[in-house]
Amino acid sequence: MPVVELAGVTKAYENKIAVNDLSLSIDAGQMFGLLGPNGAGKTSSIRMMMGITIPDSGRVNLFGKPFQRESLDHVGYLPEERGLYKKMKVIEQLVFFGQLHGLSPDDARKRSTAWAERMEIADALNKKTDELSKGMQQKIQFISCLLHEPGLIVMDEPFSGLDPVNAVLVEKTLLELKDRGNAILFSTHRMDQVEKLCDAICLINNGEAVLEGNLREIKGRYERNRIIVEFEGNPAFLNSEEIAEAKNYSGHAEIRLKPHGNAQKLLHEAAGMATIYRFEMVEPSLEEIFIQTVGGKANA
Amino acid sequence: MRNTMLIAKREYLEQVRGRAFRLSTIGLPALFAVIIGVGYVASLGLGANKHLVIMANDAALADAIRTQIVSDKDGTPNVDVAAPATPDTRAQLIRQVQSKAIDGFLSVETQPGGLPKATYTAQSSGDFITNDRLKQALNDGMVTERLAGSGMRLAEADALVKGISIETFQVKKDGSVVRSNAQASFWKGYVMALLLSMTTLIYGLNVARSIIQEKTSRIFEVMLATVKPSDMLAGKLIGVGAVGLTQIAIWLVAGAAIMVTPFAEAMLTGQYAVHFSWAEGILFPVYFLLGYLLYSSLFAGLAATCETEQELQMYMPLAAAPTWLSFALIILIINDSNSVWSIAASLFPPTAPIIMFLRMASEMPPVWQFAVSIGLMVVSIWATLWFSSRLYRVGILMYGKRATLPELVRWLRYS
Repeated sequence: MPVVELAGVTKAYENKIAVNDLSLSIDAGQMFGLLGPNGAGKTSSIRMMMGITIPDSGRVNLFGKPFQRESLDHVGYLPEERGLYKKMKVIEQLVFFGQLHGLSPDDARKRSTAWAERMEIADALNKKTDELSKGMQQKIQFISCLLHEPGLIVMDEPFSGLDPVNAVLVEKTLLELKDRGNAILFSTHRMDQVEKLCDAICLINNGEAVLEGNLREIKGRYERNRIIVEFEGNPAFLNSEEIAEAKNYSGHAEIRLKPHGNAQKLLHEAAGMATIYRFEMVEPSLEEIFIQTVGGKANA
Repeated sequence: MRNTMLIAKREYLEQVRGRAFRLSTIGLPALFAVIIGVGYVASLGLGANKHLVIMANDAALADAIRTQIVSDKDGTPNVDVAAPATPDTRAQLIRQVQSKAIDGFLSVETQPGGLPKATYTAQSSGDFITNDRLKQALNDGMVTERLAGSGMRLAEADALVKGISIETFQVKKDGSVVRSNAQASFWKGYVMALLLSMTTLIYGLNVARSIIQEKTSRIFEVMLATVKPSDMLAGKLIGVGAVGLTQIAIWLVAGAAIMVTPFAEAMLTGQYAVHFSWAEGILFPVYFLLGYLLYSSLFAGLAATCETEQELQMYMPLAAAPTWLSFALIILIINDSNSVWSIAASLFPPTAPIIMFLRMASEMPPVWQFAVSIGLMVVSIWATLWFSSRLYRVGILMYGKRATLPELVRWLRYS
């Protein structure tokens, strides 16, 4: 039984169709990436999942049942537009959000303290929110989504505003939650994080799903036409007729072959001109798939 | 309901702990006390420091007028007499006014067989208090002089023109007759109406400001994933309303505590006696709550359509209009608190809270009028909440630009 399921969901605002006939499903223990250029319909899709807006047509199921507000007690939501009460102390704020999700004040306080220690912000618990950095506020918001141990975690751009150290901390936490059986959906522009974390993705463009499924399967559909070469010597082999595009970074070259370009022939040419330390055929990155699929349509 | 009360509690605690609450709880009554005190003290000495000259061709009349002026209990200006006047007197007095040696001079020219011709020449043309005082003194002086001239003893003539004061009594609904003071009753009603209008507006605007701040801080989307918009709005209205009631309760308790002190008893006896009834004590919070809910629910809807507090300021004239209208009707209410217009204004929901208190200052309206006024306010609050909750539900998620009128109409149509 999928934890969340969208079936033929459509949402239009005045003159614009924000989401058109979108279908996707996420299982327990799955990390799902919702990708797309700005204005593609990611946030609109998430808002419908959370009952903030109602679809014009189609169906939203949460935990195997048609959407009902009570189901939201088992959902943790980090929206793209972050917000905290600036004049409230962090601990009071976390207890308040915990209580809104049905926790008792004592329970909310205990869990908030434990999470704050885990996310390395225990010192900030008695400070007012507006005394904290943006990254710290981001972590508080992250904690507020998880206090009530939700079965489904929905995060819109969870890594924005985080430095690399804290981004790793959040990644690690999300992976642990996934291993515990939570279903996690997040939207992001950071393709490297999607590749690292997600089991499945849905790429949306102009409100429609243009690519959806298991990440491994999707990448397998694309030809291995990228080559990484590390070399010393004459770089003239980068002008080979087999190559469509090449970038040379002082002995580290990233090459894209022409359709039907011959990698063996290229290796032979390169070896004749330079000393080759590495010659590796790699699958296309998600970023390349993204750009290739969305093409010039993206306005991001 | 649980989440509504959680939101109300959060809103209540945040505002009650804030500096603005402490300042307004102490500052607002203090400000009223200072304004009333300053006004009273200033009025005591009006005209006391004036240096005037009475110029007349009839010396006896000039003396009589001088006597009337200096015997005025509200002000004892320095008054000289220039009588009988010579042809040069007027020119000399004008030079003295010009050089500020005197503030002004009253010239009285008696004419055989007719009324005297009087003129007042002064540095300032706007001092209507001195003008009125001189007019009264001139008339009293004339009558005294004529009565004395026709054989009456001066003391008797003087006593006649002093006038007789009237004590006022009011017949209550139960038939009892109590001593009353029209001025004190009016000022009590006026201050209560002013306090009511200020608190209603202040707390109504607090709701609006709180919504704008939450919209600016983008907290709505987090909240909407847990709470329905209607619960959020209800929680906010309850929380801020409770803050207002807390403040009123503090004022009532503090007021009651001050009233029983010997100092206040001494101050509030005699002509300044002010009596507060239980009905006033109960109706004040009731009308505050109704007025607050009416205005705050309207402001909540409007605030959801705004991006900044500056944009919200555009709606302020709309907010203040019923208050202006209410206070503009004061003369009408004082003149006849039971006229059709007075009753209509006290039943019309936007003006009802203030007008009712102004009417209560003159005479307690019948119970059915309170019932109709409260009933109409409840219906208006319901209608305003319907209207505002629709604007609120859509508006809080709209960022970037102020909504146009056609957009607002579309929002109202969304189910």
